[in-house]
Amino acid sequence: MGGSKVKALVPAPGTCVPWRIKKEEFGDLLGNEEIVKGEWEKLDTFAYAFIWFWVQR
Amino acid sequence: MGDKEKLFQERLNRYLTALDCGKPDKVPISFSVGEWAVNYTVNTLQEVYYNQETSTRLTNQVLDEILPDLDFDIFGGGPGLWWPPMFDAMGSKLYKFPGIYLEETSTFQYVEEEYMKPEDYDAFIANPTEWLATKYLPTINEEFAEPESYRATVALIKSAAAYAMSGDMMGKAWEKWTKEYGFVPSSSGFTKAPFDTLGDALRGMKGILLDLRRRPDKVLAACDAIVPHNIAYAMIGARGDTTLPCIAPLHRGAYPFLSLQQWEKFYWPSLKAVIEGLWAQGKRMTFFAEGDWTPYLEKIAELPDKSIVFIIDTTDAKKAKEVLGGRFCLYGGVSTTLLTYGTPEQVKECVKRLIGELACDGGYILAPGGVVMGDAKKENLFAMIEAGRKYGVY
Repeated sequence: MGGSKVKALVPAPGTCVPWRIKKEEFGDLLGNEEIVKGEWEKLDTFAYAFIWFWVQR
Repeated sequence: MGDKEKLFQERLNRYLTALDCGKPDKVPISFSVGEWAVNYTVNTLQEVYYNQETSTRLTNQVLDEILPDLDFDIFGGGPGLWWPPMFDAMGSKLYKFPGIYLEETSTFQYVEEEYMKPEDYDAFIANPTEWLATKYLPTINEEFAEPESYRATVALIKSAAAYAMSGDMMGKAWEKWTKEYGFVPSSSGFTKAPFDTLGDALRGMKGILLDLRRRPDKVLAACDAIVPHNIAYAMIGARGDTTLPCIAPLHRGAYPFLSLQQWEKFYWPSLKAVIEGLWAQGKRMTFFAEGDWTPYLEKIAELPDKSIVFIIDTTDAKKAKEVLGGRFCLYGGVSTTLLTYGTPEQVKECVKRLIGELACDGGYILAPGGVVMGDAKKENLFAMIEAGRKYGVY
């Protein structure tokens, strides 16, 4: 993916790069969107927790 | 249903009844295997901190060999709050752990600094998660100081992997403690007061106290910006669970760090918003009121009924019962100083008095009032549990 496709954003609490944004960058998905979305959101939540972990001691 | 599963359900019912301010068959007792336990094994604190398998093995050893005849309900886990390799991988400046900068028998130390500068407020408020990822992490982590570098990339990979590995290890340990010992976890999920998120880790004590005078609007705006994140962080850590409360260790809100006016203006509104936001999702908070919160009890009583479990550390227990009792579960009250310096007889007297004062109509959980210190005497801890069962039968 080219860097120019990546959008700047203010992520909602609990997210880093919400699926809504990523879906726009992917464009039309040829297969089952829910599978991709579900796994994307799991890892996105993990990343969010990792980032905020550092200030939640 | 197996014996341990039955025991788990029995203890869970006892806990949930007390959380809802009801009267179970017995006063639930909460207990943890803290750093004190290391003194009764051959391990050092460095080994316990650095090797999670050692930490879990030590906890199981204490449960099997030292505590087998003691009956308690709620378990807070083993020693070691964090896994230092995760911090070492990033070159973290936040902590000193036993083994590198501290003796292998020492506990950890937090190194408080103004990691967020006054001029960073606006960027943080505008986009907290991005600011933390792009500005804060490079500031607090030497290996991550130049995020595009080879060292930084490797450090981030290692630290994120360590975070996942640590979570996996803890998950397996908890599975064993619930299934094989029948213990109920004391909490699911972790959060903080927004003022503490800002004051502990970002601005530091000196920084935030100066900010109250020099840039009070920024402090309020930053706390407001943190509120939804502290709600989200609690729910993510709990994996959506709403049966057990999330734990919130509360620091700068203890009396007398702030004046009553400062507390009401800067500390309380955003903490209240986090509690109410969680409660709207059915999630209760264990309000870990470290230190003395007596002057604030009337304000705390404004919260929705049962939305918190109030931990009594050095707060006036009688006053807490008078103001919060019946509407909020009370928890703790056994002096951690007494557990270190007292005698078993004194601990038993303390438990008898607490149960008399706090447990008469239910809604009370017996536990130490704070973090049990590393030099606490095991005979005092055992006395607490024994007295809890002796005097805590309804």
